[in-house]
Amino acid sequence: MKRQRSMTMITLLALGLALAAGACAQKAETPALTTELLPVAGNPLVNLRVVLRVGSANDPAGKEGLAALTFSLLAEGGTKDLTFKQIQEKFFPLAAYVGLSVDKEMSVFFGTIHKDNLDKYYALFRDMLLNPGFREEDFNRLKTDQLNFLEKTLVNDLDEELGKEVLNLALYEGHPYGHTEYGTAESVASLTLADVKDFYAKQFLQGNIILGLAGGYPEEFTAKFKADFEKLPQGATPKLVLPAPKPPQGLEFVLVEKQTPATAISMGFPVALGRAEKDFFALWIAGAHFGEHRQHLSHLFQVIREARGQNYGDYAYIEYFSQGRDKFPGMNYDRQQQYFSIWIRPLLNSNRHFVIRQALRELRRLVEEGIPEDRFELVKNYLLNYTKLYAQTLGERLGWQIDSHYYGYDDFLAEAQKRLAAVTRDEVNAAIKKYLSWQNVRIAVITQDAQTLKDDLVSNTPSKIKYANPNMPQSVLDEDLLIQVYALDVKPESVRIAPATSFFKKAGLPQE
Amino acid sequence: MPKFFAAILILTLALMVPLKAQAPVTSIFPFDYKIDVLDNGLRVVTIPLNNPNIISYYMVVRSGSRNEVEPGKSGFAHFFEHMMFKGTKTMPRPAYDDYLTRLGAGTNGYTNDDYTCYFVVFAGRNNIEEVVRTEADRFINLYYDEKMIKTEAPVIEGEYYTAVSDPDEKMYETVRDTAFEKHSYKHTVIGYLKDIQDMPNQYEYSLLYKKRFYAPDNCLLLVAGDFDRAQLLDLVKKYYAPWQKSGYVLQTPTEPPQTKAKRVHVPWPSQTLPRLTMAYHGPAYSDEKIDKAALDLLAMMAFAPSSALYQRLVVEEQKCTALRADFGDTRDPSLLAIQAILKSDQDLPYVEGEVKKELERLKTELLPADKLAEVKSNFKYSFAAGLDTTDGVAGTLAFYLNLAADPGTVNKLFGLYDRTTPEDIRAMAQKYFVETNSTVVTLTGGSK
Repeated sequence: MKRQRSMTMITLLALGLALAAGACAQKAETPALTTELLPVAGNPLVNLRVVLRVGSANDPAGKEGLAALTFSLLAEGGTKDLTFKQIQEKFFPLAAYVGLSVDKEMSVFFGTIHKDNLDKYYALFRDMLLNPGFREEDFNRLKTDQLNFLEKTLVNDLDEELGKEVLNLALYEGHPYGHTEYGTAESVASLTLADVKDFYAKQFLQGNIILGLAGGYPEEFTAKFKADFEKLPQGATPKLVLPAPKPPQGLEFVLVEKQTPATAISMGFPVALGRAEKDFFALWIAGAHFGEHRQHLSHLFQVIREARGQNYGDYAYIEYFSQGRDKFPGMNYDRQQQYFSIWIRPLLNSNRHFVIRQALRELRRLVEEGIPEDRFELVKNYLLNYTKLYAQTLGERLGWQIDSHYYGYDDFLAEAQKRLAAVTRDEVNAAIKKYLSWQNVRIAVITQDAQTLKDDLVSNTPSKIKYANPNMPQSVLDEDLLIQVYALDVKPESVRIAPATSFFKKAGLPQE
Repeated sequence: MPKFFAAILILTLALMVPLKAQAPVTSIFPFDYKIDVLDNGLRVVTIPLNNPNIISYYMVVRSGSRNEVEPGKSGFAHFFEHMMFKGTKTMPRPAYDDYLTRLGAGTNGYTNDDYTCYFVVFAGRNNIEEVVRTEADRFINLYYDEKMIKTEAPVIEGEYYTAVSDPDEKMYETVRDTAFEKHSYKHTVIGYLKDIQDMPNQYEYSLLYKKRFYAPDNCLLLVAGDFDRAQLLDLVKKYYAPWQKSGYVLQTPTEPPQTKAKRVHVPWPSQTLPRLTMAYHGPAYSDEKIDKAALDLLAMMAFAPSSALYQRLVVEEQKCTALRADFGDTRDPSLLAIQAILKSDQDLPYVEGEVKKELERLKTELLPADKLAEVKSNFKYSFAAGLDTTDGVAGTLAFYLNLAADPGTVNKLFGLYDRTTPEDIRAMAQKYFVETNSTVVTLTGGSK
């Protein structure tokens, strides 16, 4: 789970007024700081984003969770001059705050304010980031919150998030991505205020920072914003040299035992493909066809939910996905390495084996048969239209601008209009074959009586299911006969079982 | 005029579309809107906005879990929302899905206490006629058979399970079930599990439900964004004209006054942070009576992150990880709930005691006028913050249209906020925060 609050932004018209005024994106750079500017004349709002090219992958070994704790102490702690209480009192009449998201290699502080209140807001925003108070009481409060999240909330209250985080552990064992942004109970318990101060001093360097500014800010504000952050020490954290994640060998299961009437499933594998590469656009079409996030378009949604009523939804992703406004992708979660994943929402325990079979069988069909001809143009047109809705607010426009430059584009969404339009079905199918696999997949399952599931998986027990509808279409029933005996090559040694409460205590997956 | 009021005035002026506004320039809702009523009773609210190419098309059906007044029907409004995506005889589900896919629209539906809302957010004026035609078709000619009901019903059970591990969901369910005796707010929007499991057998009732509530005299169409108003209205008149009125009048049961305090404890099967909710029966939404407006202001002053109690319990003493007041706006009287997530089970009595002390203080002391002014400022900036996209405008307004059927209600509500005094707030605290009117629910799962 990301610690991201919904962004406070006020501009609707802003967008329109701005475009009418002929606003355009500008990019300026200094040797140390990078600046991303999006002036929008006439817009009454200003969006600030301070992006750090630092995230949980930069946590020192044994101090996992340090980036998240350090940055939350800035966003939710006092400054040298003001307590957090005093800051909240000042923010309150402005309905303002400093938002924070922490990912593997990137963290973002952000906020939106009416331009009339910009000076008042910025004085606080600046001091929170550049003159943090690092008070013991703030540290204790936020450290306890982080521990409670790991030890209680994540393992007990949020089964779907738990499934995704366990998949992350399984995908990246022994890798800098291989812990949640919040670390482990053991590592967080050991963190000290000195660790936080040290991490801040080492990471808050000019070369790590992208200053983002969008909206109707006065021209002179840019210089002030830059000058303040140029007081930080020069230098940059070396770009992480990441090892290749260990590819799955066959079907590898992690079964998480907990008392629950419903089973949550996440599965996936590392993919060596990012937005910078040409094949990304072809695989994007394949991913949207197979599992577009929370859309009827998703093939998995159609066959698991719509045809069979198994659960609330079923989706697939060709890169890490964090939902932003509405159902659109969030911004500034840029990573050097990506993974493909399938998200099966909770379903009755009695149907879990069937749906695991069904999802893997559908993945195999995708790899072997490619995207159906009638779906190819449909999905391509869908993406061409749907992506026009991605960047509407000031924060979204600025966030996409930052991501565009990270991946080497002037404007990624504009580029997508050209690149997607040019993709052929053959290219989509070639990308599917090149990057996706149905044989080598890691699968996280949050469920009850995990041992029975293991036995069923290993011995390929037929998994017949019952429907509330006694008159299911014959075509569905016919296919069910194939799914319920669809053979999965699951070796007993490839199925690990551990209780939910044993996760996130130490780095990596718990030992059985 | 306090400084922040001047600021918000500038803000609304800056956001305002340069068109002839129906509302005065000092309104919190700054956009030009127009209401047209079709012969069949359908109210059409149009808000042209100066943002190129994006249109938000919303249908507000004034039927939510409040309308589930018959036993065994909890969750039906939400279930019916799912059935609304099944298509028509001329455009069956697969064709409807293809249409949405081609359009590349952001689309969905949602249900809450009082209404169900369907939206299509799309790019391109040239797509308007197809959207109007297709949406009108599904509201007028929705078609599904019993088999489709039986397949869709388990999806609701699956949706129920998405939150089954969440103790907050259990708290929500328990607080309502305990506090209400008769009114349909007794159950949650998704409904009781036993009713959900009976949904496959509700085909006949679903037809009755549609006839009663999915009719133009119970719906509002709201369109915001880049379109020509006259052209849109012509299309709406053309395609929605065949929709027949219902005339059905819902009788919601009157909740009897609560006469003694209620208390329930929920044991939770796994280790989780303890929860506390203290709920009091409150008033319905009103843009005329001061009660709810005063309580909204009280909620922020007493329980927002800048409040003294929050600062003490969350920041200084660190007994709680969260503290908030949830005083929702509903068509019938609902609950004023104060919710806390604690760190230790042992602190539950202490936190409950501190919240009670605060409520008692609000009954006797007058809140400082400058603090009240800050809350009013916060409300205005927060409201304006929601209007940053066509969808923000439409989504915000859909909520208020459900309550009062006229966008003008927003300006009236903020007028009420402006007029609310510390004396009003004290009077409302005395009226509603009464021991016999209280329901306390706690949940623990072994946090020492």
